[in-house]
Amino acid sequence: MEITINNLFIYSTTTDSMVNTKAEKQQNLLAEVASGDPKAFEELTKKYGNLIWSIARRYLSNQAEAEDAVQEIFLALWKSAGRFDANKGSEITFIATIARRRLIDGLRKNNKHKILQSIDDAISDDVFKQKSNLENNAELSLAIGILETLEKKDQELLSLSIYQGYSHVEIAKLLNLPLGTVKTKIRRNLMKIREKINVDIKNVTKIYHG
Amino acid sequence: MVKEDTEKQILMNLLALSSVEPLSDEDEHQLSHLLSQYPEFSRDEFEKTTALSQIGFYLRDHTAHEKLPNELRNKILATYENSKLSKKNNFSLSIFSVLLKAFTRPSYAWGITAMLMIGLSYSMINFKTYENNYRYLPLKKIVLQNTADDLMQYPWYGKTADFENVKGDMIWSNQKQKGFIKISGMPMNDPSQNQYQIWIVDPIKYQNPVDGGVFDITKSDRELIIPINPKLPISNARGFAITLEQPGGVVLSSQPLLLTAPKERPKQTI
Repeated sequence: MEITINNLFIYSTTTDSMVNTKAEKQQNLLAEVASGDPKAFEELTKKYGNLIWSIARRYLSNQAEAEDAVQEIFLALWKSAGRFDANKGSEITFIATIARRRLIDGLRKNNKHKILQSIDDAISDDVFKQKSNLENNAELSLAIGILETLEKKDQELLSLSIYQGYSHVEIAKLLNLPLGTVKTKIRRNLMKIREKINVDIKNVTKIYHG
Repeated sequence: MVKEDTEKQILMNLLALSSVEPLSDEDEHQLSHLLSQYPEFSRDEFEKTTALSQIGFYLRDHTAHEKLPNELRNKILATYENSKLSKKNNFSLSIFSVLLKAFTRPSYAWGITAMLMIGLSYSMINFKTYENNYRYLPLKKIVLQNTADDLMQYPWYGKTADFENVKGDMIWSNQKQKGFIKISGMPMNDPSQNQYQIWIVDPIKYQNPVDGGVFDITKSDRELIIPINPKLPISNARGFAITLEQPGGVVLSSQPLLLTAPKERPKQTI
């Protein structure tokens, strides 16, 4: 198993009871959202609003489309919050999966190539703090650790595809690579990450639950 | 066995690619075929991988500091509240259809009658609540004035000679999606012929003004407080207007503006 120093540090600061309490809290927030508690829904927008907004702005070049997509994502989260199962994954993974599906739908619906442009949204110091809180998640720390083991060029390629929503054709043009190479590299790296996440999660579970 | 391994490898390749981009028709056809052949694999095999990687890139991106705009957050919260209300309405409709079906069985008639009696009592309570809602309007207006962080308050300006002497103002909060009109000196209307209708101008979200509810003026000398009831969630109200419409109001108005309460004082008033 390959665990980076970064991951080891996070594991050393995490105890069994912390893991349980966190999982319970996570389950509670989405369970409360599912029960129709408006305060929980407001809390959800506070906790994940910046993350979803940031990603939407990268996927959809048009601000109005990004706004519509973010609204749809939060309503979809409310409607599907009852399906969240903390045993299958973390709250943030559940949220990101739903957000991602919607954003990809948005891209397909608009059928419009994304244009490189600067993002001039309001910048906030709170976001730094919130980002550090998000990093304090075992699954995410694993994912970050794995991404860092990839070659820089592969990281860039995956970032353009997964994080910024560029199509394979657009990436081939941007990086001046043959389309086939782009597809092969994305596919191989995704398989590598998936395999490592699965192995590492199993190992972490073994460490903490015997 | 070799064939199976090869097919599973192709399946994984297609699943990986489909998690980031739509497949060609040919690939999609092959994927569906392989998924039916190997049911131990699911279409969302790579969803967790892509979701975690996406957030991983976000956390490592030092240029990603965008904050969800407050206006958008408020819009989301307002849409949520409205969706909850319509969900409740749908629930009421489905209860009604269940009751109708049940009434076809005579053995349930007594039970249903009892339920209807309970429903009637509930309606009476609701009626009382409605009365209370309107009775305490001045108090509710004060509460909104003292609790809304984004309160806007604009005076009314008459747009025709008949409305020159109308006095009053309006208050509104985008966050709370609530507002009130305070008005006096309005000409009376005949509720059987027409009603005053409130309009909310939210140009960023809606091309046309949004219906804010109807009201009647049956005594001209009194100062009235009227609640604004938007039919759609308002994100950024820029102004308000009043027209005279057919009873019950209209969705789009073609009538002249009688009063306006814009953010800035209009250059020309009566």
